[in-house]
Formats: sequence, C-alpha cells, structure tokens
Amino acid sequence: MAHGDHETALDSAHRIAPPQEPGEPLLKCEQLVIGYGGKDILPPMDLVVRRRQFVAVVGRNGSGKSTWFKTLLGLIPPVSGQITLGAPHIRSAYVPQTSSIDSLLPVHARELTGWGRLSGWNFLRPFPSRADRQKVEAALDTAGARAIAKRPFHDLSGGEKQRALLARVIATEADVVLLDEPTAAMDAVAEKQTMLRLCALAHDRGLGVVVVSHDMSVAAEHADVILFVDREHRCYVMGDARTVFCHPAFRRQYGDDYCNSAPQGPHRGNSPA
Amino acid sequence: METVLLEPSKWEQFRSAWELFQDPILCALIAGCVLGFLSVYVVLRRMVFVSAAVTNTAGLGVALAFFAEIHLGVHVDPLVGAVVLSVAATLLLMVEPARLRLSRESLLGCAFAFAGGAAILVGDRIAQEAHDIQGILFGTAVLVTPDQLHAVAVVGAVLMVLHLWWYRGITFVSFDRIGATVQGLPVRMLDTVLMVSIGIMVGVCARALGALPVFAFSTLSAIAALVLDLRLPWTFFTATVLGGIAGAGGYFFAYFYDFPVGGSQTVLSGVLVLLMMLVRLARTPFQRKA
Repeated sequence: MAHGDHETALDSAHRIAPPQEPGEPLLKCEQLVIGYGGKDILPPMDLVVRRRQFVAVVGRNGSGKSTWFKTLLGLIPPVSGQITLGAPHIRSAYVPQTSSIDSLLPVHARELTGWGRLSGWNFLRPFPSRADRQKVEAALDTAGARAIAKRPFHDLSGGEKQRALLARVIATEADVVLLDEPTAAMDAVAEKQTMLRLCALAHDRGLGVVVVSHDMSVAAEHADVILFVDREHRCYVMGDARTVFCHPAFRRQYGDDYCNSAPQGPHRGNSPA
Repeated sequence: METVLLEPSKWEQFRSAWELFQDPILCALIAGCVLGFLSVYVVLRRMVFVSAAVTNTAGLGVALAFFAEIHLGVHVDPLVGAVVLSVAATLLLMVEPARLRLSRESLLGCAFAFAGGAAILVGDRIAQEAHDIQGILFGTAVLVTPDQLHAVAVVGAVLMVLHLWWYRGITFVSFDRIGATVQGLPVRMLDTVLMVSIGIMVGVCARALGALPVFAFSTLSAIAALVLDLRLPWTFFTATVLGGIAGAGGYFFAYFYDFPVGGSQTVLSGVLVLLMMLVRLARTPFQRKA
C-alpha cells in the first residue's frame, strides 16, 4: 500500500454507516444576490445547507461560483438578500486550496491543525489549553494525519496536505465546512480518497459540506445537491445530478454527455431548499 | 634607563572606553533582536520591499525634522519624524492597490524612490546636519544618545511582549487570512497591529542606527533562519538571535577593523545567511540518513 493511502477513521466510518436523511438547516441564503460594487451577476437565490448534506457548486471559469463562495465566506458583501446561520451556536470553517498555503511557510501539520482551535478572541490565551491540545490530537487521528503530524506542510504530497487541512477543519468542530477546489492538482486516487473523506464528514459526522469544484464527475458521484451557476446567461440551476445535468441551461454550456451519464434520481431524496 | 611607551591594544582601548560603547551595542542588540523577530513576517508575507520603502521613509522623516528645525524654526524631534512617517508609509502600503489599478510592487516602488530622493533633496538644504543625514541613511553613526537607546528599548520590549502574547492570532491571520476571517478572528485589527509594529520599530531604529542596517535586520535575519527549515516557532527564535548577533557583532567588527558600523552590521547579516546555508548543506546528509 502506498504511503498515505492507509484507511482512516473517516474512511471506515463512511463504509459502515448507512446514509441518513439531511438534518437541521445550518446555513441559509435568502434571496441572495451576489456581485461586485452593487452590480448583480446572478438572479436572487434561495438555498439551505443542511446537516449531513453535501453541496457542490459547479460552473465554468468566470461563471460566478467564486463570487458566490466569497460571499458565503463573508469576504465580499452581498448585493442584496442575506446569509444566516441556522442557529446561533452553528460555526463554519473554511478549507483553503492546498496551494494557497505558502510553500515557504515552515509550518508542520500539527501546528496547522492547531489553528483550527482558534476562533474569535481566544488567541489572547498565549498557549493552547489542554482540551485544545487533545482535540488537535483527536482530529489528527480522525483525519488519518497522525503519521504526518511532525512533517513540514510543504514536504507533503497533495493528498497528505489535504488530510492535514481536513484535520484542521475537524479540530474547529464546525458545523458547516466550505471548501474551494479541494481536489485541484490531485491524482485520481488522492482525489477519490479526499472526496470520500468529505462525504464521511457530511454523512457520518453530520456536517454540512459545501464544495466548489470544476469536476462534474466529483459533483455527480458525491453531491446531494448541485448548484450550477452561469453568469453569462444570468441563471442558476439547483437540484440532484440528473436535474442539473439535464437542464437546458447546463446543456447549453456542457452538451449532453453529462445528462446521459447522470445517475438516476437524487442521491438522498432531499430538496435543496 | 630608556622607557618604552607601548600603545594599548584595540581590545584594551575598547575595554577602557566600554562606557562609551555599551549604549550603541545594547541598542544594536535590541534592535537586531526585535527586527529579527518581525522579519519572519516581513519575509514570509513577501513584504521585503515594504521594509525597504518604510526604512527609506523613516530617513526622510528625520531629514524633514532637521529641515523644520533649521529653516522653519519649529522643533520636531527627529525620532518623532522618523516614526510618524514610517507608520504613515506602512498604513499607506496596506491600502489595497487594486483600487488604484496598480500592483503592490508599483506602489512600493513609488514609495521607495520618492522617499529616498526626497531625503537626499532635503539633506541638501540642511548642510550643517549632512553628517547626521548620512548616518541615518547608511548607519555610519558610532554613538547613540541615551534617549535613542531608551526609545528602542521601550518600544522593543512592548512590541515583543505584545507579539509573543498574540503570536497564535497574528501567525494565523498572516498565513491564512481567509481561514482566520471565517473562524471569526479580528483579522483587520491583528493585521494593523503587525504593520504598525513594523512601522514603529523601523522608525525608532532607523533614527538610532540608520536605515541600511535596519533594512538588513528586518529581512536578512529571517532569510538566514528560514534557510535552516526549522519549525515556525524555532524560525522566529532563530531569526531573533541572528538579528541580535548581526546588530552587536557588526558593531564589534566595525570597531576592531575600522569600518562603518551600519555597513558592518549589514554585511554580517548577509554573512549569517551564507553561514546558515552552509549549516543546512552540512546537515542534509545526516537528515537523509535519519
């Protein structure tokens, strides 16, 4: 077995646990209009991300998916409408692209995971508490990142880097996880493992997972809800893989191939909103 | 009987005049350590030219303070001039340059060139302080005043306490800004604290030691530490130590070999980078074995 391919707690949980219905709303977009400088680029959108739900956002370059994602992260304000958390205790976390962590940064996987325990003003405590340290160790175990904990992040392979970032997001104990192109520049095996781990986060650990991806096969295979955005024609389509891939707006951009190979029926029978 | 008068050795001269030299050595040590610590952020956040522009601006601030005193009859402490202008330059360089349809490099180039040129022009009109201006730009000053030492020590101590206390927050915000934003950290506040810290420390140290060695401490110390590829906390520690060595060691070197102080401190900073590269080369075979 290749280094870094061993089964983790997330992998085994995903195989054993039966799928469950999506749960409580975690994140709500209500009549959300995205854009820059007050100019909208897509029509108003309603979307609810629920517990145990895997949402994939797809579209071509310049389609508006990055703008949508940045709006969701709170990096740019919405033109109108609002984004609200399902309850005050709900927390969100972000998993950056592995390439966005500077290759010069001499940070080790354990240290990176430790950043997951920081929120609000708790950095005023100069050292992590014992409980925080335990949660970091548990997160490393859960993500299968124990073996790489002491290694510099820049020395890790693409799959190992993703595992370290997953450990960090587990350490946050967030309810909603937002990921930007998590499988970019990965080989097929690492990509498959990463997506299975993300599915396990959603379906077994009960998180809401939102992934921006260029890869339609990833969306078709793993997502409960797909959101296709198209800035050029100012439209979006939301639903299961078949609904989205066979929609005329999607076929106008990508042709009929995805529709013909789309899985029959929704993954989990959930409605997007 | 004939008496032979031997000139005391350099070392004996140094020891007998220790009271004269202790302040500048202590000042260089503190400045080297604190700027060495901050240099890790400067280098890893790819702000080396921010440091260059800010140190140049601090030199301009000192020149303007002299100019105001001589030609306008207004007393402005050169230290205040250096700090005000370097902090102002730091805050200006924090502005998102895309708003002006410029890249950050072009903004930095403008600040660097304008501040350097303006310092020379202002220096030309204050001939009686020309030596001081040269000292500020190139670090040729051999002595520091008690006030300058006091300022460097107090500002350095406050900044070190603050940065060690907020280390976790500032590193997270510095190296994963979006992640820190999503997790609710006060990103803008922590960023401003870091940038203002760099601006103040550069300003205070440029007045006491000169712009050139300050630039060297605030960049080369981290480069030397990063070459060793240590963990992040050890990188900060090593850069702090190397900055201190360059500061104090450069002064000794300048005294014993009759070189300008600022140039010696700068060259020693560079020599430390080379030395760390050799250490890394020597370490590599052992790491491979392990």
